[in-house]
Amino acid sequence: MIRTLKRLGLTLLGAGALLFLTSVVLAWWPTRGEERAITIVARRFQYMPNIVRVRRGDTVTIRLMSEDVHHGFYLDGYEVQTSALPGQDGVVRFVADKTGKFAFRCSVTCGAFHPYMIGYLKVEPDYRFLGATGAVLALFGAAFVAVSTRSASAGS
Amino acid sequence: MRGQELLAVLLALLATVGTITVALWYDRSRDAGREVIELLAIQPKNGNWQPSEIRLERGRPVRLKIRNVETVSHGFALPDFGIGIAEIKPGEVHVVDFTPDRTGIFPFYCTVWCSNEHMAMAGRVIVTESVARASSNR
Amino acid sequence: MRDGLVLGLIPETWRFELTQFPWVRRLLKSRWMPLGLILFNVFLFTVILMAGFFGGLTSPGNYNFGIMIVWILWWVLLMTVLVPVLSRFWCTMCPLPFLGEWLQRLRLFGVRYERGRNLYFGLNKRWPKSLSNMWLMNILFLATTFASGFFTVRPAATFVLLAAIIALSVVLSLIYRARTFCLYVCPVSGFQGLYSNFALTEVRVKDPEICARHKTKGCVVGNERGYGCPWLLLPYAFRRNTYCGMCFECLKTCEYDNMAVNLRPPGVDLLVDEKRGLDEAYKALIMLGIAVVFFVTFQGPWGTLKDWANAATLSGYLAFIGLHASWNLIVLPAIFLLFTWVARRAARQAVPLKKVYVNFSYATVPLGLAAWIAFSLGIILPNGSYLLHVLSDPFAWGWDLFGTAHFPWTPVLTGIMPYLMILTLLVGLLFSIDIALKIARQTFVEPEAAVRDAFPILGFLGATTFGLMWLFVG
Repeated sequence: MIRTLKRLGLTLLGAGALLFLTSVVLAWWPTRGEERAITIVARRFQYMPNIVRVRRGDTVTIRLMSEDVHHGFYLDGYEVQTSALPGQDGVVRFVADKTGKFAFRCSVTCGAFHPYMIGYLKVEPDYRFLGATGAVLALFGAAFVAVSTRSASAGS
Repeated sequence: MRGQELLAVLLALLATVGTITVALWYDRSRDAGREVIELLAIQPKNGNWQPSEIRLERGRPVRLKIRNVETVSHGFALPDFGIGIAEIKPGEVHVVDFTPDRTGIFPFYCTVWCSNEHMAMAGRVIVTESVARASSNR
Repeated sequence: MRDGLVLGLIPETWRFELTQFPWVRRLLKSRWMPLGLILFNVFLFTVILMAGFFGGLTSPGNYNFGIMIVWILWWVLLMTVLVPVLSRFWCTMCPLPFLGEWLQRLRLFGVRYERGRNLYFGLNKRWPKSLSNMWLMNILFLATTFASGFFTVRPAATFVLLAAIIALSVVLSLIYRARTFCLYVCPVSGFQGLYSNFALTEVRVKDPEICARHKTKGCVVGNERGYGCPWLLLPYAFRRNTYCGMCFECLKTCEYDNMAVNLRPPGVDLLVDEKRGLDEAYKALIMLGIAVVFFVTFQGPWGTLKDWANAATLSGYLAFIGLHASWNLIVLPAIFLLFTWVARRAARQAVPLKKVYVNFSYATVPLGLAAWIAFSLGIILPNGSYLLHVLSDPFAWGWDLFGTAHFPWTPVLTGIMPYLMILTLLVGLLFSIDIALKIARQTFVEPEAAVRDAFPILGFLGATTFGLMWLFVG
């Protein structure tokens, strides 16, 4: 039992560490991106599309259009922003060099639910999430190894 | 013991009644000596500027408190007196002090696209020589 | 992880007595503590109530003092610092039952004591035994979150909520004894109690021997220096933080200076088998469930859901309530039941399923707390800058007290926020695994098999963590 637990723990630890390392290596691997032009329509209190997917290295141009009132667009992590009024669009352009999920938020008070007006930019492949998953597995692995080691020393 | 009890009660009153009184008094005192006009920014379909007509006397200092009571941004421009506020966010109050130096009828507008009827969101300031009372106060 | 060591590192019995320092002891024994803190918060909440009252229904929450201080600052402080580190220190300084307690005691500072007991104004009834648990608070808190789409954005809604809590506390203080309202009714008391089991701080007796020989028990009945425990505990005997409101009365009443405030390793109360029950198990799962619903609704990208929570249509709002309630009261508890049922089957021991369910629910507390901390980061970091605005212009009357009234919205550290969220969840998971393994040994007698029996629970914790990671950063 203890031996099985230890083996399982080591396997999980190894798998987790491998995932984590892969994510770190891939995150630094050079990529060639393409030009991406995306139009996002804002209305109270959502963006359409609400989830935007791009590849790492892409040069992204986002045109923000508003359907009703003055809306903003602030992208976490990239810290770029723009805003749009009906008939007056906003534009931001950036290179998607960080991977993961980034929230974009309305930066102009547009109504009661304004602080909750959020969309996601997903820069894929998402090494951050992969690394986090690896860390969860490794944590379980480490726990099992620790338990089996302690049980073994307590039993002897 | 008795003294400290009294002190505690005093502090409790100060924290409640005192706070309210001081807040109201402070708000009042900020406008001392000026004519104060509260202007509510409201989009046309909900009733437009309120009041939409402001009567002033030439040479008398006035304080406009422009309050956005809605959940969308508005702006304010009174071009003839060189007054412009790029954005009044929802819930915000902007204070503008000026003294009208000419008589006449001067338009003011909203400067932020606040709704489809944004272009209709306008009002006017009427400056006269006479001693007529200005339209609204609080 | 060996029994008796937190994370296999720190002895569970490790304590650092803060009251060993004379100035700390003097401070806590003064009757100005916690009265001074309460009075400051009475001032703060007067401003909050005023802002809520004048803010009305339409003015936006992000420029309202009441909403920003209560839901952005207070709530986040509660989840990130006050509860996990300082236990129920909010209850120490909470201004909401101030009026009720003043009426009960007819004193703010002094102590009314005659012929061997404290004097109280009011009926001083006992709270019904059947309600002396967390069920009422579970329901009230869940019901409060139904309207979270109003409280967090409409100033008048926050005003009504706070005013209702104050009014209820006054009424109940006049009918029932001591802090009955705080113990069994206040919506935010329940989770503070449960999560305080994780906290790094505690009020405890120093030497039980002294109490065993001491018959008058001023800590229970009160004396001329202080009131008998307002939270209706036996200060010389209680072993869990859950219902200790940290009012420090027992430090004042003890004739032998035998009460202490200690620092301790995190999570130790979760292992104490005292007054455990299904009510607390449900509290643990409801809190986990609400964190998920809140994130999906308020930090997710789904506009339809926001329209539902905002009651744009009645049918949408009812759908929100229905889904929210059934997820928290039925679905999540049922999923957990499935995992505990498997655990019990794997154990092949005659332990009642209810006991397995209740015991293991405490293992979800660190993870639940971590989920709330991660959620809170997503509230305070993007929106904290609004605080500068409301401090300068609390009532939206055009004031500019500190020159920050027109400070622009500035998100802070939102770039590294996902990493902070991941780290928080990992730490929570680590503690949850540790607690789960120890609870397995408590629950199933045979120690060899206990680890194996804990596997389904570890599976639940792992799956939950993975789900939360996906939701927050994936």
